[in-house]
This record gives sequence, C-alpha cells and structure tokens, in this order.
Amino acid sequence: MGNVPGKIDQEDGYNDSRPNSSHSASSLADKQYDDEITSRVRTRHTTSLVNNILSGNNTRSRASSNISGSSRRKTSREKELAKEAHAKQLVVRCNETVDGGFLAPFGCYSFEKLDYDTTVIKNLITKRKLAPFYTPLQDFDESWTRDELIKIVDGLPLHDTFDEKLEEFEDVPIGNLRKPTYNDLIDKSLSKKEQRRMHAKIFRARLYKKRILWQENENESFLEKKLEMRQLGNKANSFGDDNSNRPKTNYHLPTDDLKYTLYKNGSECPICFLYFPEPFNYSKCCQQPICTECFVQIKRADPHFPHDDVDPTDPPTNDNEKDPNLLTSEPANCPYCATADFSITYQPPKNRKTGLGGISPDIYVYKVATTEKTNANQPPASVITSDTIRPSWETKLNKERSRLVRRSANATAIHISNRLIDPNHSSRRNTGHSGTPIQEESTSTSRSPEPTINEIEDQMVREAIRLSLEDQDNQKKSKNKTILRP
Amino acid sequence: MASLPKRIIKETEKLVSDPVPGITAEPHDDNLRYFQVTIEGPEQSPYEDGVFKLELFLPDDYPMEAPKVRFLTKIYHPNIDRLGRICLDVLKTNWSPALQIRTVLLSIQALLASPNPNDPLANDVAEDWIKNEEGAKAKAREWTKLYAKKKPE
Repeated sequence: MGNVPGKIDQEDGYNDSRPNSSHSASSLADKQYDDEITSRVRTRHTTSLVNNILSGNNTRSRASSNISGSSRRKTSREKELAKEAHAKQLVVRCNETVDGGFLAPFGCYSFEKLDYDTTVIKNLITKRKLAPFYTPLQDFDESWTRDELIKIVDGLPLHDTFDEKLEEFEDVPIGNLRKPTYNDLIDKSLSKKEQRRMHAKIFRARLYKKRILWQENENESFLEKKLEMRQLGNKANSFGDDNSNRPKTNYHLPTDDLKYTLYKNGSECPICFLYFPEPFNYSKCCQQPICTECFVQIKRADPHFPHDDVDPTDPPTNDNEKDPNLLTSEPANCPYCATADFSITYQPPKNRKTGLGGISPDIYVYKVATTEKTNANQPPASVITSDTIRPSWETKLNKERSRLVRRSANATAIHISNRLIDPNHSSRRNTGHSGTPIQEESTSTSRSPEPTINEIEDQMVREAIRLSLEDQDNQKKSKNKTILRP
Repeated sequence: MASLPKRIIKETEKLVSDPVPGITAEPHDDNLRYFQVTIEGPEQSPYEDGVFKLELFLPDDYPMEAPKVRFLTKIYHPNIDRLGRICLDVLKTNWSPALQIRTVLLSIQALLASPNPNDPLANDVAEDWIKNEEGAKAKAREWTKLYAKKKPE
C-alpha cells in the first residue's frame, strides 16, 4: 500500500479515482461486503466448513484492510484536517468581539470537551441569540472602586493558561510543527496497528501544541494593541487635545467605560461559580442563568442502551447481544429542574452593542441601561437547544449503531464457528430446545423489519455453513462408500 | 498539575466553613480532588448511631461528570454492594452539573434512610430485604454496630 498519510499528491490521485468524494459509510460497507462475499465464495470450494469460517475471518480482515486501507487513510487525513480547522475556531481573537465578549471560550473546560459546532455558535453569538463568551473574573468584590475594577479587567488574559505538560503527551514526540508530515517520528518496527495508534497520538499531541501556539500568537497581538492604545491615550491626555490627532486604527479594545459597564453588574454562573457580565442565558423551563461556556458543555447522552429496570432474578444481558437499533441518546435535560429538551433564551444587553454588528468597542461611552422591563415591542427571544449547537448528534448515533452492527456480525461468525467445533455447546438462547444453530439464528435475527448488514452477514454465514456441511456430508459418504466397497 | 477549577475551590471552602450536619468532607493534602467523607447514619434507620466512611473523587470533567463515591465502611444495604459501590441515580444518569458535593452526600444519607430494594445493586441483600424486611434490618443494625461504631471522642 503505497499510500502514506501526508503524501498529499498520492492521496489526491487516490481521491480522483473515487467515484464520489462524499463517499457514504454505507456504500463503503457495501463495497467491503462485496469483497467479503468473493473471498468467502473463493475459499468455500477449497476448504472444509470449519476452516472456511475460521479462515473466512482472516481473509475478511485482510480483504477489508486492502480495500478500505487506503481509503480509510484518506478519510482519516480528512478528519485530521477537520479537527485542525475546528481547533483554530476555538482560538479567542481580540478583534472578534460582541458586546464585550468573545466568539470562543475562555478555557474553563478542557480542549477536547469543546466538541460543539463552532460555526453555529459564532453565528448565534453575532446574531445576539446567545450570550458571547466573556472573560470570567475568579472573584468579585462589591467594594471595588471603578478604577480598581478597570485595573482588574485590564489584567485579564484572552484565554486561560494552558497546561503545557499534559501527562497524556509526555514522551510523545511532536517533531517540527511547521512540517505537515511526521512519518519519520513513527517507529517502523512496530506492528501496523501500533503504528496507527502512535500516529493518532502524535497527531493529538501536535494539535494540542499547535492550539497553544495559535492562542499565544493572538495573546501577543492583544498585548501589543493594549500597549499601543495606552500610549496613545497617555499622549492624548498630556497634550490635552481631543481625539483629533488619533489615527483611525481600530484596536477592537474596550474603553474603560465598556469595561466598567460590563463587570460592574455581573453575577456568578451557578455551574462554574465564575463571575461574568450580565445578561446571562436563561433556561427556558425554569429561568435559571447559565454562562455560554457551561451551556456548550451540556449535551445529549452518548449513545447507549436504554436503562431498563433490571429484574434481580434475570441474568444480566451482555451489551454485545443487544440489538444495535435499540441504541438511544436522549436529549439533554435542564441541569436545574431536569425538564427534558434543555433550551435557553437570551436577551441582548440594551446599553451596549459593540464589536461585530455594533459600534467599535474603543469608542463606547457609558450608557444607563434603559429600564423598560416590559418587552412589548421586543421580538420574542429565540430558543437555543443543546441539539442546535451539535447538529451532528444523529450522525454520531447512527455511526455508533453501525459500528455495533459490524461488531456483532463478527461476534456471530465466531460464535457459530465455536458451536460447530463443539456440538454440545449451548448458548443461553437455545437452552431448552434442540435445534440446529441455523434455525436458532433465524429466530433471533428476525426482530427488525429491514435487513441490516448484520442480518445479511448472518445469512451469508448460514449459507456458507450449509454448503460446507453438505460438502462434508458428501465427503463422508464417499469415504464410507470407498471403505465399504472392498 | 492543572490548576484546580474555581468551582472546586469554592465548594471545598463552603464544605469546611458551613458543613452539612452529620456529614464531613475533607480534601486530601496531596490531591484536592480526593475527599475523605463521613456520613452519620440517619435517625430511626438501621444505620442510626453508625458513622460511615466514604471516599469521594472529582473526575477531570467534574462538574459535567458526577463525582465518584464509594463506601469504605462495610454496610448491609440493598443499594450498596460488597465493594462499597452505590446505586444512586444522581451518581449516574440523573447527574446534573447544578448538583454539588454537598447535595450528593445528602442524597446518600437519604438513601440510608430509605433503601430501595426494587432497584438493587447487592442482589442477595435486596432479596433478603424483600422477603424478610425485619430480619434484614436487624442484620443492618448488627453490621452497623460491628463495622460503623462511633469512635469515642
């Protein structure tokens, strides 16, 4: 397989040969499946039944690694690029502000937990349908004066400090980050599987490091701008003139008035206990505040089997034996009142509209918030659910289902081959009545109306068994005949 | 070591400055995510007069993930198994980031007051509890005396 990840020209060549770049998982599975069929049919003629199934497994894995090997590499490279693009979107940028907040999180939660859709979130924030990501204060003291508060806000970084030495990436080489490839870092003496694992690990370590560097670059330009703006401000003050001499550079930095307006009347998020500027997002069901950084952490349960009430007298069922179509993922509940389908509403601040879609934050002058509490003329606040910001949840669920389908197909094949080797072996399913394994299988798979890959696979295996049973019988018969004859 | 989230610091301070009656929780000196916990058996329960030791650990994803809690003291209870693992909804599927260490420990105390043998973790204890509730409670009282005796102050 000459296809090494990173050798982009080769990959592109491969890409061209593919019929459709949006190659769906199922059609890939079909292709793989065709190959399996041919490999099984091929072996059937030459070997006996048991050998057929046992070696069938081997041929299958070999065949699938042949056909999907290169294409999998391709998709994994695509995935890597997508991950990098996602990580780039998580960088807090000082020129992308909305009403004094940012479009990316400060970093209260770990990097790998930020799996929401960044495009959706950025859109919602710029449209003022979701509170921006504000820089939190660890504490707030009512007694702080205006000057003290402004000084504290001035000292806030764009992003929380990073843990530079994660235990997970200790001893993981990352090589030169400027180079797109890092195959030289992979120990070629390792098995293919180990090499792939190492590749993935190095990728993660490199991405983590890159992410830190991207943010640090941004932090630097943030600091430079701050310094420049301060120098300009001092000059303006010492010469006593107004803004006439000021160059028309947009620093995107907040005025003292804006800093004060933001943080003077903030409150604490009940989940992370950090202090943020108002207004918060509010849960639709019980009107409790939640900061955007905590909101993006709340999501559906990972795909799992339903938690049924277990009868203590029943033997526990292994997850492997359950129907993958039963896998579910419930929408998130409200963290405060447990109402299903957690959603929030947001009313943007009335006394500031700065940054994207508003005035530049460096010309903001303090305004008293208009105290009209009745929202008669206010458009109804839009409702954002946890699913809105993770539109891919359904794909994820289906992916997990088909993964289980594949796994259980493999398990079934092994299971049947075991039963054939040991005819006395009885699984829990067939205790009580004695039938051929073939009959039992058909009862257990007729549950879902549509044939799944699992069922087709089962059918194939059954057919293979039947044919080789015939083969064996014929062989025995002919042997017996030859023994009996003389 | 990554810095401790503000939430954990604030919760710990509150647990020390304003403790829940009948419950103590102290963080380890060398791991501030690991707590030594004691819970007094609720009055009028078979666990009355007992002091139960537990360990509590806040995983990296806390508060998005539930704390991990385990009984260290042996206890005869249908929802607590031989290893001290606890079957309690708020520690699993019903966990919410709006809950806290203190609310979780209160829930565990409430579980001692009202065992739920229909959703058991220790099957044998649950069966015993359903078939012969008085006998099971007597055994729970006996175990409390044996293993969870209050140390004289």
